[in-house]
Amino acid sequence: MLAALSGRAGFPAPGIDILKTPCLWGTNGALCVNRVVIYMLLAAIVTVCLFVLAFRRPSLVPRGLQNVMEAIVEFVRNGIAIEVIGPEGLAFVPLLSAIFVFVLVGNLFEVIPGIQFPVNSRTAIPVILAVLVWFVFNIVGVKKQGGLGYIKSVLFPPGVPWPIYILVTPIEFVSTFVLRPFTLFVRLSANMIAGHLILTIFFVGTGYLLGRALTIPFAVPSFALAVGLTGFEILVSVLQAYIFTILTAVYIGGAIHVEH
Amino acid sequence: MHLLTILAAGENPILPAANELIFGTIAFVIVIVGLFKFAFPSLGAMLAERTAKIQGEMEKAETTRLEADKVLAEYRQNLAGARDESNRIIEEARRTADQLRKDLQAKAEQEAQSTVARAQEEIRAERDRVFQELRTQVGEIAVELAGRVVGSSLDKGTHERLIDEYIDEVASGGNGKG
Repeated sequence: MLAALSGRAGFPAPGIDILKTPCLWGTNGALCVNRVVIYMLLAAIVTVCLFVLAFRRPSLVPRGLQNVMEAIVEFVRNGIAIEVIGPEGLAFVPLLSAIFVFVLVGNLFEVIPGIQFPVNSRTAIPVILAVLVWFVFNIVGVKKQGGLGYIKSVLFPPGVPWPIYILVTPIEFVSTFVLRPFTLFVRLSANMIAGHLILTIFFVGTGYLLGRALTIPFAVPSFALAVGLTGFEILVSVLQAYIFTILTAVYIGGAIHVEH
Repeated sequence: MHLLTILAAGENPILPAANELIFGTIAFVIVIVGLFKFAFPSLGAMLAERTAKIQGEMEKAETTRLEADKVLAEYRQNLAGARDESNRIIEEARRTADQLRKDLQAKAEQEAQSTVARAQEEIRAERDRVFQELRTQVGEIAVELAGRVVGSSLDKGTHERLIDEYIDEVASGGNGKG
């Protein structure tokens, strides 16, 4: 189809196939190392480096990177863990901080020159994190309320007249145990896929418009829009990392507190 | 195996590719191990130390404040004691001065009285002496006068009797007290 389009000299709009990258090392299969894999490992290393450089030898009076990372951890601690879960949330600050920064770094790869590929537009890491979150909040719930107590508090929320349970219980079951991980990873991935597509379209489009004298004037707004959207995507990256983390906290908090 | 090949093909953007799942897991494990092994322990230790330090500083400040309060109270007490002491000393000095004044006054009065008494005594003695002298002189004058008048001397017994009678008369007439 692409070939057909370019044969007709139209704009070959980039589609979701730009997310597919060829194997650089290894064969096509489970051990294929492509750009995405390299960026995943890079995101992990960057995340670890940020934390380790900041906190390896922390000083009581924070400076530089330690200051920045402390502000982030402080934000996760006060703005997410304590705000959403309460005092019990303190135990989850390390996990929530790790998730927040890892997702944020993966998202921000979208606007890092030379990389310009949001790792989380591939669903692998969001899926892994969502599955982990699913296990975490269910284990926490079982530990806090006991197996039966937890399932009862999820499926039969108190304060509901009993005939309503016919409706509520299946909905609660599907939404808590089935849909939560899906919505969690799809929300993150879809946002990053959309952002990446939009940026690609406008940058590729700028190049395309520059190709003919007639369309050069249209390259300027296209480029301006691409630059503006890059800023917007930074905002989206932070926002999606925040949403992913705060939803994790909400799920954990819901498992800890019987009534929510 | 069939599922893995479908996943690896990555046809659907929502389905994660197998290789990406595997390396994504490795990446996440790197993050978790790196952070929980090399970052969070020292961060936790630092935060605990910071908390302890701030708490220590606050406790120290509290101790210092309490000490200052104690010293101030002591100082105030001492000041009050000093004021009492000074009041007492002033009071005592006043009492001593008063006593001294009274003593001096009494002594002066006594001296004055004794001086007056002595003077009176002297006056009385002088008067008696003068009176005695006068009496002798008057007697002699009277005898002489009488001798001249009578022309003859009276014998000594009559003479003395006359003088005494005269003097008594003079004394009772000229001086009521005698």
